[in-house]
This record gives sequence, structure tokens and C-alpha cells, in this order.
Amino acid sequence: MENEIRADGTICDLNYLSEMLGARKPLIKGIMDTFLEQIPVELSSMNEAIATTDYQSVKRYAHSMKSSVSILGITLLSPVLSEMESLGLAGTNMERIKELNVTLHWVCKEAMAELEAVKGDYI
Amino acid sequence: MKMKNMIDIFIVEDNKILSQTLKADIETTFAQKDVRIHLFESGGECIERFSKEKPPIVILDYHLDSKKAGAMDGIKVLDKLKKENSDVDVIMLTSEDNIAIAIKSFHHGASDYIVKSETQYKKINNSLFHLIKMREAKREAKRYKRLAVSFFLCISLIVVSIVVMQVFAPFLLR
Repeated sequence: MENEIRADGTICDLNYLSEMLGARKPLIKGIMDTFLEQIPVELSSMNEAIATTDYQSVKRYAHSMKSSVSILGITLLSPVLSEMESLGLAGTNMERIKELNVTLHWVCKEAMAELEAVKGDYI
Repeated sequence: MKMKNMIDIFIVEDNKILSQTLKADIETTFAQKDVRIHLFESGGECIERFSKEKPPIVILDYHLDSKKAGAMDGIKVLDKLKKENSDVDVIMLTSEDNIAIAIKSFHHGASDYIVKSETQYKKINNSLFHLIKMREAKREAKRYKRLAVSFFLCISLIVVSIVVMQVFAPFLLR
């Protein structure tokens, strides 16, 4: 997994948003703020789905989070969430889902720390 | 207050990060036009405001159930919007590249169907560009039609006046 972290050591890639929105930094900051609010809620929902062995909800939340993380360029999570979604759809292998969830939490925590550190540059 | 030629666009998407990014992108791309975006996380919220505001364009997520299982799906919302206003243009947005969903969306009246991917923002903007252009063209066509009708009515009135004068008061035309 460490090999998939970007060359500059960061997890998030904000180039995509910067290219899309140009110099409109307040808009980028707004999206970052929404990410920082939404991701903890989604992670908590995922934990609940796993605790209750709710494969359908695991699939739903993994599916939703794929869109969320791709906007912030967190490519590290694409294969993790895709696998969680597939396992949720198949309704199988909760142990593997739990392993992937650990990775999901770790990467999200690092991503949020990165965004907190840089969002001051987007006022 | 709604300004003349302001274009209201509703976005119905339960993922706030995605809807906010989409809003920011559309506002940036269409900065020269009077575009006003309204965000909704559920079909129910959208339908409530739709009947009051009657926006010409709606961007609608197909699933809408990432937060609440069993939430009204995009097709049901599409049906209700079309029932309220058959003229509304609805762009269906989905993460599944599935021909059956595409056909179903078009069958229920969607104007376009876009798969969520890296190029979704460009595709949505292209779709909006064409829909807005088409609406502007229709508005212009209506205006020209009204002008043409008014012009022919005036000509008809003049001709009828001349004929009436010829018949009843020919001395006026000598």
C-alpha cells in the first residue's frame, strides 16, 4: 500500500479540483469542508453495517464513498472500496470486508489530516 | 425574485461532496449565464420545491439510497417530475454503465443519461450546454412566430380597411 501513496507522500490529489474550478479557492475549500464533515459519518455508517453483517448497506456505503474519495483524488481507496462493494453485493466474506475497512479508516484519517493542514491555503 | 432569462437547475444527489462539486463546476463553466443551482439530497425535497419553482432542468441521481435504504429512486422521482411538468429536461446520473438503466431512463422521459466517471463533469456540462441552447432557440422561435403573426395581422387589417373604404367610401381613396 505504501507504494501507492503519491510520489510527494500525499494521499489527496487536489489538482483535479484545481483544474476544474481554477482560481475559485473558496469553492475548493467548501468541498474540502463537506468532505471533512461527510466522511466521518460515512465511516461510522460502514462500521455499523459491518457490525450488523448488513452486506447490502456495506455495498451501498462503499458505492457512495467511491464518488466522494475520487473527487479529492484519493486513488488509494478505489480498489479498496471496489472490493468492499463487490463483496457486499455478493453477500460474502465479512472477514475480508473488515480487513478492508481497517485500510479504509486509516487512509481516510490520513486524508482528513492532510486536508485540515492545507485548507487554510484555499481561503 | 426570478430575473428574466435566469435558468434554475435542480440537482438531486444524496452525496453532498458530489453535488457540491457539480454545483461549483457548473457555476464556473456557465459563469456568463444567469444560472442558479439548487441542491437536494432526496427526491421528496426536490418534488416539494419543484411544483413551486418549475425549473427547466433537473440533474437527477438514479439511486438516491446511499443514506437511506428504500429512499425514492431516480425513476420514481423522474415520473413525478414529468407528471408535474412534461416539459422539464432531466439528466439522469448513475454510476452503473448499464444499457437497461439507460433505456429505462429514456423510456420514462429523461433527456440524457450520464455515467459517473472522471469525465462526468464534462459530459454534464455538454448536456447542459445543448439543453440551454435548445431552450433559447425555442424561446427565440416563439418570439419570431409572435412577430410574424402580428405583422400579418397588421397587413390584413390594412388590406381589409382599403377594401372597406373602396366599397363604402370610394371618394376617400380618390
